[in-house]
Amino acid sequence: MTGLKAPAPLALASLLLLLAARPAAAQAPGVEELMRRAHLVQFYAGDDLRAKVSMRLISRDGQERIRELTMLRKDLAEGGEQRYFIFFEKPADVRDMTFMVWKYPQRDDDRWLFIPALKLVKRIAANDKRSSFVGSDFSYEDVSGREVEEDTHAVLREERLDGKETVVVKSVPRDERGTDFGYKLSWIDRTSFVVWKEEYYDKRGDLSRVFTADEVKAIQGFPTAVKRTMRNVQTGHRTEVTFEQVQYNLGLARDLFSERYLRNPPRDVVR
Amino acid sequence: MRGRRTSALLIALSLGPTAASADLSLHGFVEAAGGVRIVDNPTQARDATLGEGRLQLELSYEGPARSRLLIKTDFIGDGVEEEGEIDLREAYLDLSPLEVLDLRVGRQILTWGIGDLVFINDLFPKDFISFYVGRSQEYLKAPSDAIKASLFPGPVSLDLVAIPLFTPSEVPRGDRLSFFDPFARSLAAPGQRLAIREPATTLGNTQLAARLYRTFGSYEAALYAFRGFFPEPVGMDPSRRELFFPKLSAYGSSLRGPLLGGIGGLEFGLSDSRQDRSGTDANIENSALKYLLSYERELWADFTVRAQYSMEQMLDFRAYRASLSPGDPRKKEFRHLLFLRLTHLARYQTVELSLVGFYSPSDEDAYLGPQVAYKVTDRWTVTAGANIFLGRKDSTPFGQLDANDNVYVRLRYSF
Repeated sequence: MTGLKAPAPLALASLLLLLAARPAAAQAPGVEELMRRAHLVQFYAGDDLRAKVSMRLISRDGQERIRELTMLRKDLAEGGEQRYFIFFEKPADVRDMTFMVWKYPQRDDDRWLFIPALKLVKRIAANDKRSSFVGSDFSYEDVSGREVEEDTHAVLREERLDGKETVVVKSVPRDERGTDFGYKLSWIDRTSFVVWKEEYYDKRGDLSRVFTADEVKAIQGFPTAVKRTMRNVQTGHRTEVTFEQVQYNLGLARDLFSERYLRNPPRDVVR
Repeated sequence: MRGRRTSALLIALSLGPTAASADLSLHGFVEAAGGVRIVDNPTQARDATLGEGRLQLELSYEGPARSRLLIKTDFIGDGVEEEGEIDLREAYLDLSPLEVLDLRVGRQILTWGIGDLVFINDLFPKDFISFYVGRSQEYLKAPSDAIKASLFPGPVSLDLVAIPLFTPSEVPRGDRLSFFDPFARSLAAPGQRLAIREPATTLGNTQLAARLYRTFGSYEAALYAFRGFFPEPVGMDPSRRELFFPKLSAYGSSLRGPLLGGIGGLEFGLSDSRQDRSGTDANIENSALKYLLSYERELWADFTVRAQYSMEQMLDFRAYRASLSPGDPRKKEFRHLLFLRLTHLARYQTVELSLVGFYSPSDEDAYLGPQVAYKVTDRWTVTAGANIFLGRKDSTPFGQLDANDNVYVRLRYSF
């Protein structure tokens, strides 16, 4: 009996998908596909990734804080489930803390934090993706990517941005709960699908944050934003991020992303 | 042969300086901390509960084949005890002799289980005095001299721990904080200390602990076992007027994972008091069943709530009741404990406001710990807080500390 239950919702779901997909495709040909490809370029390049990430958190009055970390990422499926490791090196009070994320496309991530001073593996409640990532202007969602399906997308115009041919897309959250923006504009490269710029508008319609990809390099053939900035125009606070020693397709094992290595990071991979 | 060895040495020397600088690291902090009692306490001579300067040095060396040596030492000038002290916090060697085996040998901090400040299967030593006088949270976990083997043969992992040298938990016993003297059946007078007898260091007294764990999708499940001694001195020897650590075995399990947009957990433990299996000895803690339910959720961005309910059920309660002498403080069969932690991060997570609360309806006692921490820069942190104790009876865990309400401030420079 239970065996028969599974196919019915599946069939219903695919039928609904078919019905939903057709009118959308007719109204705005390609915008969903454009966003999907941009999403893959930003968050799924290669099968895995290692990078040294430095963040400069700069307040309106110029006070600076530094975050230095090594990031590992592995894709279990292109556009699907991912595993992340983040090893903190600076500042001193978070040094050797390790953060592990199992990211799922359709539900809340699983997040763990290892605090070496307490030898404690803490499970982090992950329902609010708009929380700031390590006190920066980037949210968790900005770091690991917001699902394309969570917003409705429309092409506003085509624009030349600093010599790049871009498509400007307006994205509106389907469900405003759990987001802190009313809508978002993205400047997407027509040929490489690199996101050069994003503007986040708050729920009153005022500009709140601006993302820019300041330097994009082809690394192992993958366009990689090695310098990027998120600026909060309302508070004057900004975060400048540099990616160094970027390497794709290292062949990271799936079981690397486990409690064993959360407690005892694999130095050879992290270095 | 000789030539080859020389060239190998030359290569090692030429690689040496760069390799060493990358593999050797020195970090730590300097901290000044002060705390004072804010209520009058007739059992304590001093008002100061905390007054110390502390330098922590952590030296770490990454060796070949995933080996690592870590030595963490605190150098303390203590104004309350009026003494200097060197506290070796951690000194261990990590080895990975096999693909599926990690070893940690030496002084180390051991902890497991899912409770926040409630320990059911974590029977490793704790320093409750540090917690109650406002030291940093890392000092709640006391180190053990131990060997830990971690096995990773497949989806199931296993930790095996042997602790040949017993380390007790630090509990209020007359320094800094007042305590209930179970022999006198009242709060101890100023200057009085409680005599505590530790188990002898013999091979047979080596404590053993194990954790078997695996994940099922997003859920983490674990089984625990322990054979050793109660980490707190819950045995009384009236003939010598000493407290001691009775023999204990414990078994338990835990489960943790996503629940209703947050993280839910449950933990269970059975403690088998091996020196008083029948429960007829009023001087030794009875066997008990322990339960914990926990739930944590980020209610909105940067504001997290954690709630816990834990319950201890004394086994052989009738035998316990029959064994009491007139005038003995009477424990209840069920001890209920409610816990709440609120955490709010502000100003780009540089300000952390938190509140920890315990309330036991059965013991009729409570604890409140508000705290604010401000990261002035990446290196400087200032923390201030309070420890408030409430209780109707002197014999309950927080009740004995009722007249020890204190405030504290800490200033730390990390490097």
